[in-house]
Amino acid sequence: MRNVNVPRDGVPVTQAKDVAADPSLGKKFRLRADVVIVGSGGGGSVAAYELAKAGLDVLVLESGRYYPSSRFTEHLGDSMQLIWRDQAGQVNTSADVVFAEGQCMGGSTVIGGCVMQHPPDWVFQRWVDNHGLADLAPEKLAPYFNQVGQEQQVHVNESHEINACAHKVIQGCERMGFSWQPVTRNVKRCALTGHCLAGCPSDRKMSALVTHLPWASAYGARMFADTQVTQVRTRSGRATGVDAVVMDPDSGSEVARMAVDAEVVVVAGGAIQTPMLLQRSQISDPSGQLGKNLAVQPFTQALAEFPEDLHAFRGALVGVQVDEFFDTDGYFFYSGLAEPEQMLAQGYLGAGQDHIDFMKKYKRMAALNAFSIDEGNGEVQWEGDAVNGSKKIKWNPGRSEFENVKRTAALAARIFFSAGASRVYLPTYQHLAVDSVFDLDQTLDQVDYGLNGMYTFRMNSFSAQGTCRMGLDKYAAVVDPDGECHETKGLFVADGSLFPEPMPAPPQWTVQVVAKHIANRILERRDGLFIQGNSA
Amino acid sequence: MSESDKAAEEVARLGRRPFLKSLLWGGAAVAAVAGGSFAWLRRSGVDDEPVPDWVRHLHANEYHLMRRLIPALLPVAGTNLTPPEQVPVLRNIDHMMGLLNTTVRKDLAKGLVLMDNAAVVSGWHGKRLVDLEPEAARAYFDTWTRGNRIQRALQGVVKQFIYTSYWREPATWPPVDYDGPVTEEWGLEYLGNAPLPEADQEQSA
Ligand SMILES: Cc1cc2nc3c(=O)[nH]c(=O)nc-3n(C[C@H](O)[C@H](O)[C@H](O)COP(=O)(O)OP(=O)(O)OC[C@H]3O[C@@H](n4cnc5c(N)ncnc54)[C@H](O)[C@@H]3O)c2cc1C
Repeated sequence: MRNVNVPRDGVPVTQAKDVAADPSLGKKFRLRADVVIVGSGGGGSVAAYELAKAGLDVLVLESGRYYPSSRFTEHLGDSMQLIWRDQAGQVNTSADVVFAEGQCMGGSTVIGGCVMQHPPDWVFQRWVDNHGLADLAPEKLAPYFNQVGQEQQVHVNESHEINACAHKVIQGCERMGFSWQPVTRNVKRCALTGHCLAGCPSDRKMSALVTHLPWASAYGARMFADTQVTQVRTRSGRATGVDAVVMDPDSGSEVARMAVDAEVVVVAGGAIQTPMLLQRSQISDPSGQLGKNLAVQPFTQALAEFPEDLHAFRGALVGVQVDEFFDTDGYFFYSGLAEPEQMLAQGYLGAGQDHIDFMKKYKRMAALNAFSIDEGNGEVQWEGDAVNGSKKIKWNPGRSEFENVKRTAALAARIFFSAGASRVYLPTYQHLAVDSVFDLDQTLDQVDYGLNGMYTFRMNSFSAQGTCRMGLDKYAAVVDPDGECHETKGLFVADGSLFPEPMPAPPQWTVQVVAKHIANRILERRDGLFIQGNSA
Repeated sequence: MSESDKAAEEVARLGRRPFLKSLLWGGAAVAAVAGGSFAWLRRSGVDDEPVPDWVRHLHANEYHLMRRLIPALLPVAGTNLTPPEQVPVLRNIDHMMGLLNTTVRKDLAKGLVLMDNAAVVSGWHGKRLVDLEPEAARAYFDTWTRGNRIQRALQGVVKQFIYTSYWREPATWPPVDYDGPVTEEWGLEYLGNAPLPEADQEQSA
């Protein structure tokens, strides 16, 4: 029997300032663990919890800072500067699509919109049929979904969690005859502050920061923030550990270099960073797919103006989803209007009076976020050496993807016009607004595919995936059905990069489920993986 | 052809196809080199004006450009909105500039030089953007909104900097009814870490 105590709040994390203040560590130090986990977000935190609970000596390394919820200000600008990667400025090579990602203890779960969606069974059945992932068959994953669902306090929004923005969407859907549902979210006793994207200061959002990380720590996992893993070390086809740099999060200057020896390395840096870490570590990849198949789940936001005041930014951020087109077209829509700064990132940027008029109508606006499934043709590439190189995210919509984005924007606009909107601001780089549904198609026709669809729609990606795809065939997939790199023993991936096909749903729940599965496989194969023995 | 004619010709070429075909920032860099060669074309009275000590990341020309564009892009007179001079818009822009990575920062510097100087010929304003009256500056932005990829990107970046730096200030929120942070004001109970899942609690009990 173990005495396991979860602290009332916070997580014991070693930060750059602690390393700098500890003379015994110096400028270079070495640690040992059974398992080193790279990244503390959706996947990494679940893996850390499961493996530490089973008695393994687990070390979690996170490149972002430790920003406990007691410091959250409910101000998107502050969070973006401190805990969103590249201050929310991570973009593709043509700089017109934003790839948002959390970079902090807890990763993107800290800044997520709280929507938890269990994708339909056919998604996983395709994984079985097309990629040989028998262990991920719907019936095998069902218990994991239940477990994560309970751990994350997932529940269907109750009526008080449906705000004015969501009500407008419901009204529009009812008139159009479109199916809609209240969303399921991982929030405990939501206080309806609407500040999800800035982090929840009263800890109602079940982010990794208040669930799997403190639980892992209670089971003995050690954690370092401000620690960027630069390389995975391998010898004779086996992972042997990682190299990392501890950096001051404010100045960016190096505090120390760390080497970790571990027989199992679990990389969970998310679908953009994980493949680049493996690329700069020159991990053998007979499939040639490492970094490829990037699916981005592009979304745009249609903003609608109504004749009456709505204050649609008040209440739970996400209330309802439109699921009418989910199975047929892979489109899904979520209600949700955040603070004024978010409108600027997504929306309509007029000059002068036009902008003033637009912002004065903020309280009369509602927003619908329109997602479509893309074909997974993007690519992430690390160029240059491990420390000074740079990343390239290559994704622009193909013609059919562009048409899907256009169609989802049109559908969102129609829903709002049906709900009585007097004007809809279109999510385009051109400055387009429509005052009547009859002008919608004609106005949207002004948005021409042009050169690779660049600078057409204001697209964002919150849910990159697929860059280390999982599959049985080592010539087609980067990792095997256990999440282990096909040709590097002991090197596992446990994050959104594993998805073998673009997923038509918000991914967090599935990422956590797959990470649980991988942790279980590591435990089941314990004798073969930890040849030097381990503490358990 | 004189140097200034050559420079004007470079800028006029911005809208033509070969330029459109080049990649966004690569293209912007080429254009900005052209921008450099005609920077002397129109000197501005503001070029010699001092820059406050607190400016850490904005170059002098960028500081003056932003300073002149703020009232043009945020004409709040006659509304209940907070006047931009009452909030630290320029300081926020300076701070945001400091957060950009080196490559993006360099490209942006070139882009801003380009945008400032291209006003001399683009739309035939005959003046740099920094010297345009608010009305003409807004018209210039509107033209760039409908322009090529580079123009659309640059005008969007400048607006983002100015608008974000304004709207991120709590003083700007009451006039649009935005409540800002509420947790403290509402006295919300702080829940802390979630307890271990029940299955674990049974095991460790
Ligand atoms: C703004 C936003 C809103 C979202 N809303 C929702 C939602 O409502 N519902 C939903 O299902 N999904 C949502 N998502 C997506 C969801 O959060 C992610 O799919 C999920 O968190 C992915 O988990 P992950 O482990 O793959 O990556 P992440 O959670 O992003 O974690 C990766 C972590 O690894 C760290 N890391 C990366 N590289 C290194 C390195 N080399 N060394 C050390 N550390 C490293 C990163 O800093 C990061 O903290 C949202 C995402 C964002 C950005």
